[in-house]
Amino acid sequence: MKNPSDQPADRPLSELLREARVSPALPPRFQESVWRLIEASPAPARTAGWLESLAALLLRPRFAVAAATALLFAGILLGSHEGSQLARQDAQARYVAAVMPGSLR
Amino acid sequence: MKRPLLILLAALSLGAMIFAGAYFASRRTCEMCQAKPADNLAWLQMEFHLSDTEMARIRTLHESYLPQCAALCNRIAAQQDELDRLPATGTYAGSAAQAISNEIVRLRAQCQAQMLQHFVMVSQAMPPEAGRRYLAKMRELTLGTNLPMEQAMPSMPGAASHDHHP
Repeated sequence: MKNPSDQPADRPLSELLREARVSPALPPRFQESVWRLIEASPAPARTAGWLESLAALLLRPRFAVAAATALLFAGILLGSHEGSQLARQDAQARYVAAVMPGSLR
Repeated sequence: MKRPLLILLAALSLGAMIFAGAYFASRRTCEMCQAKPADNLAWLQMEFHLSDTEMARIRTLHESYLPQCAALCNRIAAQQDELDRLPATGTYAGSAAQAISNEIVRLRAQCQAQMLQHFVMVSQAMPPEAGRRYLAKMRELTLGTNLPMEQAMPSMPGAASHDHHP
């Protein structure tokens, strides 16, 4: 498709238009005032942000299932370790009571 | 703001419930599985990984030790009763009480020596390493109980000769 400005008759018009497009001068202290505006704008609420993202993470089924499984296994491991320690202590106390006469305690 | 906080709290409570449930259930199960209330020697097998043959030998030693131990205990109890029946005052009562106390101390020493002898015999029925461990543990559990009391006793005049005791 042919561009209308490619027409030889329009060439002077195009050049004139190109020259007429002037970039306006920036107001004085433009950069400084932009920075001032940025600094003055309120910061995003960070507390709500991390809480929301944590809640979103907890609601993810994959994460929820993984966390529940990890807690379950940790509970079983710790509980069985503690249980075997208690059973051992109990058995030890029974043996000592059987071999050590009360008169020596 | 409120909804995420509620989700967090609910997740924490659910997690705590899962952990606590698993912990208490497995602890109880483990305790019930390992406990053998009828067998006083179960600890030996559990702690020192003994075979059935070694356990049978130890059981024989244990069963022959118990009546000897009971006989000495009965003699100590009889002496103790006699001491309790003595009148509280009087020269005769004082000297008799002294004699009975001496007899109780002698019987206790005999009882303790017999117990230690039994520990040595049991340790010899075990593999060497387990036997050493058993002896050390039994010394700690039986003789070790008197140490805090002995260490707490103030040093008496003329008791300097006892200082060399551990």
